[in-house]
Amino acid sequence: MLRLAAGVLLAVLVAIPLAVLPAAPVTWLAMPALGVGGAGVLVLSVPMVTTGASLALIAYASALVIAGPAVDPVAAIAVGATLVLLLALVHFAGRVQGAALGPAVIAAQVRHWLMIVALGVATAAGLTAGGVVLGPTLRDATLPVVVVAAALGALMTTAGVIALVTARKDPSAPNGR
Amino acid sequence: MSWRPTALNVSFLTLAGWALFLGVLTGRADLVVVAVPLIFALVAARRTGAPAAVQLHHDVSAERLIEDDRVTVTVTLRADRPVPLVELLEPLPPRVRLEQGRNHAFFTLRAGEEVRWAFVLRCASRQRLHLGGPHVRSWGPLGLAAAEARSRAPQTVAVYPPLAPLRYPPRPLRTQTFVGNYVSPAQGEGIEPGDIRPFAPGDQVRHVNWRATLRLGPLHVTQHHRERNADVVLMLDTLSEVGAPGATVVDVAVRGAATLAAAYLARKDRVGLIEYGGQLRWVRPGSGRAQLQRVLDTLLDASVVFTYVTRDVDLIPPRILPTQALVLALSPLLDGRFVRAATDLAARGFDLVVIAVSPVASARAAVRGGRVTDLAARLWSLERRVQLDELRRRGLTIVDWDGVQPLDVALATLRQPRRRRVLA
Repeated sequence: MLRLAAGVLLAVLVAIPLAVLPAAPVTWLAMPALGVGGAGVLVLSVPMVTTGASLALIAYASALVIAGPAVDPVAAIAVGATLVLLLALVHFAGRVQGAALGPAVIAAQVRHWLMIVALGVATAAGLTAGGVVLGPTLRDATLPVVVVAAALGALMTTAGVIALVTARKDPSAPNGR
Repeated sequence: MSWRPTALNVSFLTLAGWALFLGVLTGRADLVVVAVPLIFALVAARRTGAPAAVQLHHDVSAERLIEDDRVTVTVTLRADRPVPLVELLEPLPPRVRLEQGRNHAFFTLRAGEEVRWAFVLRCASRQRLHLGGPHVRSWGPLGLAAAEARSRAPQTVAVYPPLAPLRYPPRPLRTQTFVGNYVSPAQGEGIEPGDIRPFAPGDQVRHVNWRATLRLGPLHVTQHHRERNADVVLMLDTLSEVGAPGATVVDVAVRGAATLAAAYLARKDRVGLIEYGGQLRWVRPGSGRAQLQRVLDTLLDASVVFTYVTRDVDLIPPRILPTQALVLALSPLLDGRFVRAATDLAARGFDLVVIAVSPVASARAAVRGGRVTDLAARLWSLERRVQLDELRRRGLTIVDWDGVQPLDVALATLRQPRRRRVLA
């Protein structure tokens, strides 16, 4: 059942670039993506599914470059959400293989996944909407503005890393981790 | 317990990195949007709060089992806070099979909810089974973070060898002073009639033999044989073993020793045990159910410990190995040190019976069958027969036991009264 669901998600992932451009170069990339990803779903291997999904992403990028359609945020968000669900599902299926499942475990997991994916989709939609609004404003941005924005991003990243490294360790954790 | 990122983060980062890289490379905003749900999932999985503590109660249905018995392990979980996903894994000790249920489970707990998880284990061979409690792993949403802990709830289950019925254990040549089931040659109180002799002052009237008195004239009394017990010392060879784990020649010998101990203790004899191997361990001769438990507990831990040191039987104190005792040595006779020790005991006048446990069947069961294996097994059997005949010629009483047929059948050859032999 979990394998079937993962297979459907993989098929959706591979179908999206083919829907953009059902032509030879994309097909050549989509087929190995389906093969490797399908094998990963069969043996419930997250690295293999990641490889297949990476190939599907490359196929999607190729299709966008070759066909050159207008930006489609809905399809892009669908690809991102499918990737999240596919990885989570294959990882979960690999963990629970051969184990006893308590009542409502799968239902609770699906609820959690859908909640996070919905929040992710909402964030992506919000960012997209923000980009649409800010795009015309920033189109004429000069080099100093870009440099300042990049410096601000680098500063925040450094601060985040320092906060992560100096965070207080949990004394109850094994090996002090 | 604290959250730690799992390997799944690498997959999410890889795909997010690919999407951003391809987006920058191609200049397509779609690919940047693809990365957003992946990055959001990574951020959402970064948890700061401590994982919810799960209270575990670990219980087993029995603490003492016989080989091939089943034990039910029950784990009760309870959490005060909601737990999205908790994974439990009870590692299976060696030579234990899962009979029913799973030793690996996943649960979702609501606040205050109690969940019971049970599985049945089958213990294939004698051992002291240590069930240390399950490993507990709490999973964050999407499996991107996990917190691990080990529940320390040690439970020990003793798996004893089976006690087969034994109708005719070897009779000891010498008896002891306590009351038992053996008819002693010595005259005294008892129910087995012996000689008839003239009446003497002090004799009880109930012992007067009236038939003999009428025939012979003067009063005659019937003497009786005493009924005495015996000291039996089981000597277990743990110097060497062959066979698959759980079915080695030492395991077969342990089953035989347990059967013999139970049979002799049921006859009110005193039974002791000597484990003659890399480590020399013993149980002082005693009687009763407590002694059977002591012997079985010692047999449970009997194992081969490799050593170059040869320990002589002189090290064994006389109170452990009484000179009047019947010594039953269970050995595959693979190690020359044990053969020397047995010969030494017999030469000192001990009433010794060697139960030679055949290693051929155990070895054959451990390897794949075939023509070469069959031929090797036949040659080994012939060599072993020659070895046993040689030891018999030297005066040892040897019973050949293949470990497959009941011990009672193998010991049938000793039903005839034995005589003391002088070693050649």
